[in-house]
Amino acid sequence: MQLLFQRWRQQVAAYFSTPAASSREAQQREVSTRRRGRMSQLIRSHIPPRTERMAVDQDWSSVYPTAAAFKPASVPLPIRMGYPVKGGVPPPKEGNLELIKIPNFLHLTPPAIKKHCAALRDFCTEWPSALDGDEKCEQHFPVEIETVDYVSAGTSIRNPKARIVTLRVKLSNLNLDDHAKKKLIKLVGKRYCKDTDVLTIITDRCPLRRQNYDYGIHLLTVLYHESWKTEAWESEKTEEDMEEYIWENSSSQKNALDTLLQIKATENVSNVTKEELLASEVVRNYRNSVIALKNEGETESNMSQYKESVKKLLNIQALP
Amino acid sequence: MAARCLWRRLCQGSSFPVSYASRVMQKQCFLPNMDLVGGRFSGSHVHTEEPKTNPLVSISDEPEVLYRRLSLLVKGHDRAVLDSYEYFAVLAAKELGITVEKVHKPPKKIERLTLLKSVHIYKKHRVQYEMRTHYTCLELKHLTGSTAAVYLEYVERNLPEGVAMEVKKTKIEKIPEHIQEPVWDTLPQVEEAEVKS
Repeated sequence: MQLLFQRWRQQVAAYFSTPAASSREAQQREVSTRRRGRMSQLIRSHIPPRTERMAVDQDWSSVYPTAAAFKPASVPLPIRMGYPVKGGVPPPKEGNLELIKIPNFLHLTPPAIKKHCAALRDFCTEWPSALDGDEKCEQHFPVEIETVDYVSAGTSIRNPKARIVTLRVKLSNLNLDDHAKKKLIKLVGKRYCKDTDVLTIITDRCPLRRQNYDYGIHLLTVLYHESWKTEAWESEKTEEDMEEYIWENSSSQKNALDTLLQIKATENVSNVTKEELLASEVVRNYRNSVIALKNEGETESNMSQYKESVKKLLNIQALP
Repeated sequence: MAARCLWRRLCQGSSFPVSYASRVMQKQCFLPNMDLVGGRFSGSHVHTEEPKTNPLVSISDEPEVLYRRLSLLVKGHDRAVLDSYEYFAVLAAKELGITVEKVHKPPKKIERLTLLKSVHIYKKHRVQYEMRTHYTCLELKHLTGSTAAVYLEYVERNLPEGVAMEVKKTKIEKIPEHIQEPVWDTLPQVEEAEVKS
């Protein structure tokens, strides 16, 4: 109590000696006089807050140049915040903890942002105007590297998820021939998406992002070069391993040719060779329809095409 | 050097603005009439005079990194704070000349837990807490490395307290030189040679 009296006397003396009280002193006084008591109310009524001396067209970015807590004596706005008393209004800004707790953007008003950006614009570069669309970007720069940065407040600024690197590339942009492409797809397995033709490699086995990126590029290189190699055991590829249906040397071809040869034998036509039969148009149509059915699945058009080709092959006109 | 030559070939015919450098900025693309002092040059269209040199700015020799997309996901407990931050980030992007592709707000996620109200027994009386996380996603398109570095630093320094951010960068690159051609054509006749790296 003694201390409080002395401090009060000092502050009142200080007030009378320096008529132009600075805002910091006023705030300190406000902070120290927030303790209940008549003397604090007397002091507060003597010292006007800084807001009353603020011009309407002042430079706000000098009042709040950086992020700072909400100071009710420095913000000339009649803000009320909090749960209202029954039948009343929310509490005023003086001594309002809710206003101090919430992060404020008083230092980031639009004029302040424009000032900052004007200073930062010198450090920015322009995007090359030749790459104005996604297709052009992909045509010139086909490889996409995706990395994630994490910003949060906590005991540590490190986040272990930040080392993950995702590499995406379209196989059509790589220099691959047919065999190499099929072998690459088999090597890579689930990482290739057939619909979008994109190979995705996600690496996180190294502790640093740069190491993961290097490892991803290394994987891509190894896959590429290995897929161009033809091993000795690849010649043992059976029909079950094939990715798409090939008509040549298949049972369908054998059956078709046998049937046609038998038909020709019964009609007693002179021996036609297999090559002639293969080159004839009915057999070509049949081949195309069977390949379409096997590779693309059964659709209306595929089935009708197959029906037409079989009718032509076996010379049946009667059925609709 | 090869990267810079690639850049030159790419930029043939398109006009480029005057290059402002960054604090450690990468050199911009080149037109054939290069070799000016400091690597600065004037594009054929807009700027008629040399810009004033900013003494803080220095140009480096590395080629510019290109980001096709920059995705900022901001997470916080208060929707109003996120809205203000989104206004700030969008205005900053517009001022710096960055195209904002999309700003969308994924739905909030609420994590609830139920605890016993009392220290000892009274199992039937519990208290429930919840944590609400609101999201805002900002997607920016077509940034260079310097611009991205500047924008991200500005935006990350002004992240309010209690708000977290995830920045997803999609960088685009050319296919590395060692993947252009299969190496088996150029290797000598030795079969099963040393494993290609």
